[in-house]
Amino acid sequence: MAEIKQEPMSKKKLEYVRRERTKEMRQQVVSFGLMIFFTFIAFGMVAMDIDASFVIPVVIGLAFVQVILQFFYFMHMKDKGHEFAKLFMMTGMFFALSFIVTFIYIVWIGSPI
Amino acid sequence: MASTAKKQGVGSVLWDYLTTVDHKKIAILYLIAGGFFFVLGGIEAMLIRIQLAVPNNDFLSAGLFNEVITMHGTTMIFLAAMPLLFAFMNATVPLQIGARDVAFPFLNALGVWLFIFGGIFLNLSWFLGGAPDAGWTSYASLSIASAGHGIDFYALGLQITGAGTLISGINFVTTIINMRAPGMTYMRMPLMTWTTLVASVLIVFAFPPLTIGIFLLMFDRMFGSSFFLVETGGNTIIWEHLFWIFGHPEVYILILPAFGIFSEIFSTFSRKRLFGYSAMVFATVLIGFFGFMVWAHHMFTVGLGPTANAIFAVATMAIAVPTGIKIFNWVATVWGGSIEFTTPMLYALAFIPSFTMGGVTGVMQAAAPADYQYHDSYFIVAHFHYVIVGGVVFGLLAGLHYYWPLMFGNMLSEKLGKITFVLFVIGFHTTFLIQHFLGLWGMPRRVFTYLDGQGYNTANIVSSIGALLMAIAVIILVINIIMTLAKNQRVGRDPWGDGRTLEWSLPLPVPYYNFAQTPLVRGLDAYWIEKKANNGKMMPAESLEDFHMPNNSFIPFVLSFGLFVAAFGALYFASGKEWAIDAVADLPQHPWALWVLILGLAITFGSMITRSLKDDLGYYVTKEEVLRDLEEEEQRREN
Repeated sequence: MAEIKQEPMSKKKLEYVRRERTKEMRQQVVSFGLMIFFTFIAFGMVAMDIDASFVIPVVIGLAFVQVILQFFYFMHMKDKGHEFAKLFMMTGMFFALSFIVTFIYIVWIGSPI
Repeated sequence: MASTAKKQGVGSVLWDYLTTVDHKKIAILYLIAGGFFFVLGGIEAMLIRIQLAVPNNDFLSAGLFNEVITMHGTTMIFLAAMPLLFAFMNATVPLQIGARDVAFPFLNALGVWLFIFGGIFLNLSWFLGGAPDAGWTSYASLSIASAGHGIDFYALGLQITGAGTLISGINFVTTIINMRAPGMTYMRMPLMTWTTLVASVLIVFAFPPLTIGIFLLMFDRMFGSSFFLVETGGNTIIWEHLFWIFGHPEVYILILPAFGIFSEIFSTFSRKRLFGYSAMVFATVLIGFFGFMVWAHHMFTVGLGPTANAIFAVATMAIAVPTGIKIFNWVATVWGGSIEFTTPMLYALAFIPSFTMGGVTGVMQAAAPADYQYHDSYFIVAHFHYVIVGGVVFGLLAGLHYYWPLMFGNMLSEKLGKITFVLFVIGFHTTFLIQHFLGLWGMPRRVFTYLDGQGYNTANIVSSIGALLMAIAVIILVINIIMTLAKNQRVGRDPWGDGRTLEWSLPLPVPYYNFAQTPLVRGLDAYWIEKKANNGKMMPAESLEDFHMPNNSFIPFVLSFGLFVAAFGALYFASGKEWAIDAVADLPQHPWALWVLILGLAITFGSMITRSLKDDLGYYVTKEEVLRDLEEEEQRREN
């Protein structure tokens, strides 16, 4: 049973990695803070009984921004080498969306046209 | 290790295969298990044709006939065609891209054992109170009403094999994206690798809907929910949509790797570069994408409405365009080539007209108004057998002959191979061509018999004789395989003499680590380029050093066995329970079922925990060992 062969990192490399990780951490905390803030806004608007026709689109808009933050900062889509993951997610979303649209408007839930 | 231990006992060989994570051995496992199920499905097909050979036949009873057609379809699609394709993907793809194994060798082993246990579970239904009998599509309105446990075997068995397939799909996507040798850009990948990539992507997107559909069916039948029970507010059409959202991509999952095998064979035995390579890649991707947009063409007569039918009809016809691109490119590859009529090439040449005929009837059925006439008739049976046998099975037989030396180090007999080919192709057209006419004359599919004097007699007996020819062809193939293995005349590197892609640059049998040094790829048909420009030796992309390989593991087997046990628990859980559906409410109660379910899941989760907690870092293949192998190979070549 062999151990994995690994060379120790050079000092410069180590410093670079540390700096990158600090940056990454900062970004994660900021986006996490933003997401909590968005959630507060959404809850707050509902609690304040603002008109539904205003609240619904705003909440959906906030949700959209939050999804993007989630994908890019927590699921690493901003990083290099994630082109395929991005392509797969986009394709998956496209398929899911087209199934739903088909169900609602063409084949089934609504009256068939 | 395979290369050093030459004389092994039966026990140690068996243990080696039970624990292997090597893609070449997993390919052989897929081939053996898939071949077994292929024969099983073939026997079921023969039973069907015997029953239908003459009118008013009582060879099979009506109920048994339903079980036989259901198991024939299910076995052939899920347990024969897909695993056999996985066998060839496993055998070739890592070699074609210059990798030492797939990205997740452990998951590869898990995939094959899940498939094998799921397949065994499904087929145990024959001995445990009756097989599923609602057709391979298992439409919920039928399958909920089906008495006994047959459908439960279908649902649980397919759930287990489906998990295996999904795992293998993810594995191949990752392998092809991440593990290509230096210089192997996307547009230099052989077509077999490209079609495997697209088929694996389709698996990743198409299997989740099937998994969900089967879960809903399982909950309805085994745990008292009511997704498909109309009387309690369910909707049986949901099943049809979920099944066909999976089911249509599924047929492309089957045909695309077959296209890949044919593309390799055409260019090898025409001694030409594949004509229109980039168009072929584009067409492959396009077929994969369109495959998701056409599922409702299986449901034209459900009553979706004319607009929906029109949209899906047009989308379906659009698929004929990329498929046509492929057909013309294959013809142009052969055109002007220096053609060698080997057995694989014969299958490939027979595939073009056969598959095109299936494609033409496909476009006919895509016209929604006309489909009301064809629906549920033998015309449909003839169509899908033309594409699946004329496309996929021809591809599998061609691939078996073509890749056999790569997998086993010896050549199948060309003479017997050609006899098999002639019998199989004649038998195939005799069986299915006439079924088009049977359908147009009005014979419905899935009926266990027909009356005398309706004009179906002659056509049916002709069809049955054709099936007999195919059976004889398969028997000769089996004899061929046994004789070849018994004689075991070893062949060396590049046995066909015209190998173009990386897999043929390796010595046979392929060393367990594949490449002593990762090769440098300088263009499409990497090995051919080196043959023309560099004495036929691949240039290494790295210096010869120790490299890392994964350890064998018994965990995939145990993990899959756990699910096999759990499936029995789930199956008998609802028997005789008050809340169960009518189909199983009258059966005797099995109080042990819950404990078997828990025991099985405990085995599975226990294996997962063991896998997670136990460090398994693999081992290093030393430079000295590789050098020794290379010297031996050099000596063998000189002798």
